[in-house]
Amino acid sequence: MATVREKGYYHWDGQLAEARFPWWPITRTGILLAFKKKGFRFLFAGAFLPSVVFLAIIYISEHLGDFKLWARGSEKFITITPGSFKIFFTNPGFLFLMIAMLVFAGSGLIADDLRHNSLQIYFSRPLKKTDYVLGKMAVIFFFILIVTLVPGLLVLVFKLIFDGSFKFFLDCPWLVLSIIGYSVMLAVFFAFYTLLLSALSKNSRYVMILVFMIYLFSDILYGMLQGPFRTPYVCLFSIRANIEQMGAFVFAQKLPYAVPVVFSFLVLGGVCGLSALVLHRKIRGVEVVR
Amino acid sequence: MTAVIQTKNLSKWYGNVLGLSDVSLEIDKGITGLLGPNGAGKSTFMKLVTGQLRPNIGRVLIGGRDVWNNFHLFRGIGFCPEQDAFYEDVTGWEFLTGLLRLYGFPAKEVTERAVRALDIVELSKDKDRKVRSYSRGMRQRVKFAQAVAHDPEIIILDEPLSGLDPLGKRRLIRLIKDFQSAGKTIIVSSHVLPEIEAMTSRVIMIHQGKILAQGDIHSIRDLIETYPHMISIRCSDARALAARFVPDKSILKMSFGPEGRSLVVETHQRDAFFSRLQTAVVEGGIEVEEISSPDDNLQAVFDYLVVK
Repeated sequence: MATVREKGYYHWDGQLAEARFPWWPITRTGILLAFKKKGFRFLFAGAFLPSVVFLAIIYISEHLGDFKLWARGSEKFITITPGSFKIFFTNPGFLFLMIAMLVFAGSGLIADDLRHNSLQIYFSRPLKKTDYVLGKMAVIFFFILIVTLVPGLLVLVFKLIFDGSFKFFLDCPWLVLSIIGYSVMLAVFFAFYTLLLSALSKNSRYVMILVFMIYLFSDILYGMLQGPFRTPYVCLFSIRANIEQMGAFVFAQKLPYAVPVVFSFLVLGGVCGLSALVLHRKIRGVEVVR
Repeated sequence: MTAVIQTKNLSKWYGNVLGLSDVSLEIDKGITGLLGPNGAGKSTFMKLVTGQLRPNIGRVLIGGRDVWNNFHLFRGIGFCPEQDAFYEDVTGWEFLTGLLRLYGFPAKEVTERAVRALDIVELSKDKDRKVRSYSRGMRQRVKFAQAVAHDPEIIILDEPLSGLDPLGKRRLIRLIKDFQSAGKTIIVSSHVLPEIEAMTSRVIMIHQGKILAQGDIHSIRDLIETYPHMISIRCSDARALAARFVPDKSILKMSFGPEGRSLVVETHQRDAFFSRLQTAVVEGGIEVEEISSPDDNLQAVFDYLVVK
């Protein structure tokens, strides 16, 4: 028993530094926990598949002579333009993979904290509410940017390498900014979208279903309303369609739906605003009895 | 000298539910027991002191500074919540280091502190096990470790002993006392009176959101004049001793304990009784084996203040 007493108390004489990025430990934990989930690594790796395919298409487009037989008749299709980047970034399959990734990595971000009463542990430390939210958002930023921004820029670099000249870059120098801008906007939207739903329930499985179903249902609703109403404005109900509109605008391409892009920005911004409101109300250090 | 923690007219309510009402008190270094039944307002008080709740009325001051919205103060506070607050999928090590990083310690320091804290609570061997696999006692200990790992000046422990086996309780009580010896200010809440009694005689009694009493438990007992003091004397001849006190008008009631081996006296004048007891014992040649006060303990005081 005496040994317990001997190692009881220890005083630290060091200088306590102000944490420069107080949100980082939260982000770190979020990323760590995501990779601990069954099947997530597989899904994460799968999210790079569109980038690999895009890279292969770029390679083929630059070496058409070597792929004459395979690419016959589709030369026009595999000619790389800024529009190709828009197609890569906004194709429904890629967005679906991102949603699937968010289902695993993002649904429990706040829901698990609510379930495990972790908020009181966090907020009894020198951590502001904004640091906490930023930390959680950064988890989504990490996963979205790593499958959009990083491959997007790499693909562009490889395009220049395969091309052997800077012509493509000089023809559309804004493309880098478009890639960065679109990836960041997508990350911001998905971060707010996921955290909004994650803050609504203590049950992360329920949130998983919500994240997935709301995305899918918004698109189904668009499809259902399109027939009876015969107006392109119903595309505003679809998260996917709004993202596609945003992508087309950012990559300076023709809008896929005959609706002013500002409406799509308003819809996506509205979701972010609603999320901010819900986060503000739901994230408290303690349970509040009503 | 200013008290470490001061509350001034502190009140908190949740909608129609009163959490805490007009609490003004001062808490100094050492262990202070926060005592009250479930739902008395202990956790509300602790969450107000740790700055997690904003008071509706009043203030909480630590070192003279307002706690609310002053998150820099939280560096000096360690809080161990009553409920489990873990991710089940992380290991004890990950849980602890993750929380230590929030203080901005250098990486090396985080490791050293986590090692030391786990060592203190004797969880070093199990640090790489997932929290999911921890027993109730281990969970309590790792919660305690996160509260003290950053070397806080104020440690707030909400029901830290609940769910621990007797050995675990003894170890944790000893640890808490170690931190007291190191000059820390510790607030421990419990609804189990003997647990508090084992740690400190300085208590705050709370009931239905109000402070019933604060201070040394024996002094509090002395202040309760409505109920006479009970004094039990186990001696060789209880009846002879009783006979000597029959004419004493300050004695309200006398009774005999089991097998007539002890005399239980009720009086409002405890000090006067003890001086007369001395004379009676010497004159009567009675051998006294034990003198005790059955109602000079937390349970009795609490019962007097709350129930009756």
